[in-house]
Amino acid sequence: MTDKILKKEEIEKFYLDLSRYFNFFAPTKENGNIVFKKITDPCEIIFDFLNSKVPPKEIVFPRMETLFTYKINGKEIEIEPVNNLNEKYLIFGIRPCDAYSFNLLENFFASGKFQDDIFIEKRKNTILIGMGCNTPRQTCFCTSLDHGGHPHRMDDVDIFLTDLGDKYLMRSISKMGKAIIDKLAWLSDAQRKDVAKAVELSKKAEELIKTKVDLENIAETLKPHFDHPLWKEISENCLGCGTCAFLCPTCTCFDVIDENDHYNNRGKRIRLWDTCQFCIYTTHASGHNPRKSKIERCRNRILHKFSYYPKNYGMLGCVGCGRCIQSCPVNNDLRVIIHKIKNLEKEKIEVKIIAT
Amino acid sequence: MQLSAYIPCLTTIKSIISENEANDIKTFELVFRKEEDQENFDYNPGQFAEISVIGKGECPIGIASSPTEKGSIKFTIKKMGTVTTAMHMAEVGDAIGVRGPLGNGWPIEELKGKNIIVIGGGFAFSTLRSLVEFIIHDDNRADYKEIIVIYGNRNCSEILYQEDLMRWKKREDVDVALTIDCAEKGWDGRVGFVAPIVESVDPSPKNSIAIMCGPPIMIKTTEAVLEKLHFQPGQILESLENRMKCGIGKCGRCNIGDKFVCVDGPVFSKAELNKMPREY
Repeated sequence: MTDKILKKEEIEKFYLDLSRYFNFFAPTKENGNIVFKKITDPCEIIFDFLNSKVPPKEIVFPRMETLFTYKINGKEIEIEPVNNLNEKYLIFGIRPCDAYSFNLLENFFASGKFQDDIFIEKRKNTILIGMGCNTPRQTCFCTSLDHGGHPHRMDDVDIFLTDLGDKYLMRSISKMGKAIIDKLAWLSDAQRKDVAKAVELSKKAEELIKTKVDLENIAETLKPHFDHPLWKEISENCLGCGTCAFLCPTCTCFDVIDENDHYNNRGKRIRLWDTCQFCIYTTHASGHNPRKSKIERCRNRILHKFSYYPKNYGMLGCVGCGRCIQSCPVNNDLRVIIHKIKNLEKEKIEVKIIAT
Repeated sequence: MQLSAYIPCLTTIKSIISENEANDIKTFELVFRKEEDQENFDYNPGQFAEISVIGKGECPIGIASSPTEKGSIKFTIKKMGTVTTAMHMAEVGDAIGVRGPLGNGWPIEELKGKNIIVIGGGFAFSTLRSLVEFIIHDDNRADYKEIIVIYGNRNCSEILYQEDLMRWKKREDVDVALTIDCAEKGWDGRVGFVAPIVESVDPSPKNSIAIMCGPPIMIKTTEAVLEKLHFQPGQILESLENRMKCGIGKCGRCNIGDKFVCVDGPVFSKAELNKMPREY
């Protein structure tokens, strides 16, 4: 199938055609931040953006989500499962790193002895319309990741867009993506020069990512250094605020609480994003805490992404979006941390040379 | 569509037994409201369940009853936080949510043909009670060899399941050694911490498995004794606790390295634990 062209002035038409079937999410601007929001007016869409502050993960795994509702009537209790799982979602303009993170989330929620049926249903009902990054951020390092991370990676979306200035080159990637494009019969065919320009933009974008993080065998490198004093150094200035985790597209931890509507004898059990950076996250009822200081908590975050997740799923638990670097209030930089860890290996080799 | 992972089954409290003088440990006997839920709750000793007081929250509790005790399930709960306190305020007839069974449980198949040394301390005896009740049941007793139960407490008013212990003591095929930390008037059992009592009982490691549950200090000292008695790390089983929310390996917090206590445990052998970071 040939690529299509979506002119920017046709976005309204595009939105009107698709919002009939989907909750249409797109990048919008709110208080100066880019945020993926369900839009009701295509004018809200921001075309010129780098990436959202909070990853679009929150559409399928919101920061607060109902697990079930209940009614209490004396000794009688009635439990109602959630009933909004048939809703269809479309995420317009999702960046390749965030689209790839959906795979990581799915690996985790859909595997093991128990599956998270709420996430799985939502993910199943979500269409991703990805958009290549022509101007990656300084903190981006997707090309350092072993999955073939690239500012124009297309593999994880249904439809891929390349911003050609006044129009988008539109390519269907999945069967679902093809079905959608087929329905939009008014789309014009792309010219050979459009495709060539897209290829050029993709190459240019790759060159713009100057940061190269050496992640080769990172899991192996981490293994013998669990008790290394480096973790103390890394965690020294950490505030334990959890920003890195809350803005991470691959973090999945949550808390569960009951939220009551006392006046109406009902309530709901909800889950809320949580993070291993908080002290109370692991504190036992007895007061004992297996990860009692920042040292253990910072180490857990790094090891989860670069050792535990790879061990369980055969891939790194990071997508290289750089949000944790950008938003850390004390400028802790994941790239520097990795670099320090990698240097431990070199140190060892140097010691060996001296010893012989 | 069935959305089951987070939804508890409703049960009714059939009986409540106060287990100690302080009245902060109670055993709750629960009966499923739906018969199919009862049938689906097919568990092994050593597994746990998420107990819900609807409107207060949920917390993981080891199953104290044995699968051989049909018709109801039991949980022994110490009053500690929000949910357990709400549980302690509950009355017979109240509705309680149960989600489970969860976790791996004691490896009852692998234990067949072995001598079993059950070592418990304090109120961490619930899943050990489940195991002993299971093994001594007429249907199962022939599958297992010698059984030694060593159970320690601070004082005799803290000893759980006193009736069950008396019943086990009367049997010729179970050795029961009860101990309290300091001597008390009228106490005819042993006196001293669990570790030295294990040493004096001196179980043979030959074809044996030691199964332990108790406070960290008891585990640590008893591990040393078992090692002295030539038990290999693979012959020592322990049940861990970590803070949990979901119990199904999704909420994240109970991880020890790349393992989750809720789905990969709570039962681990000392050999497995030796390979894991000490984050428990």
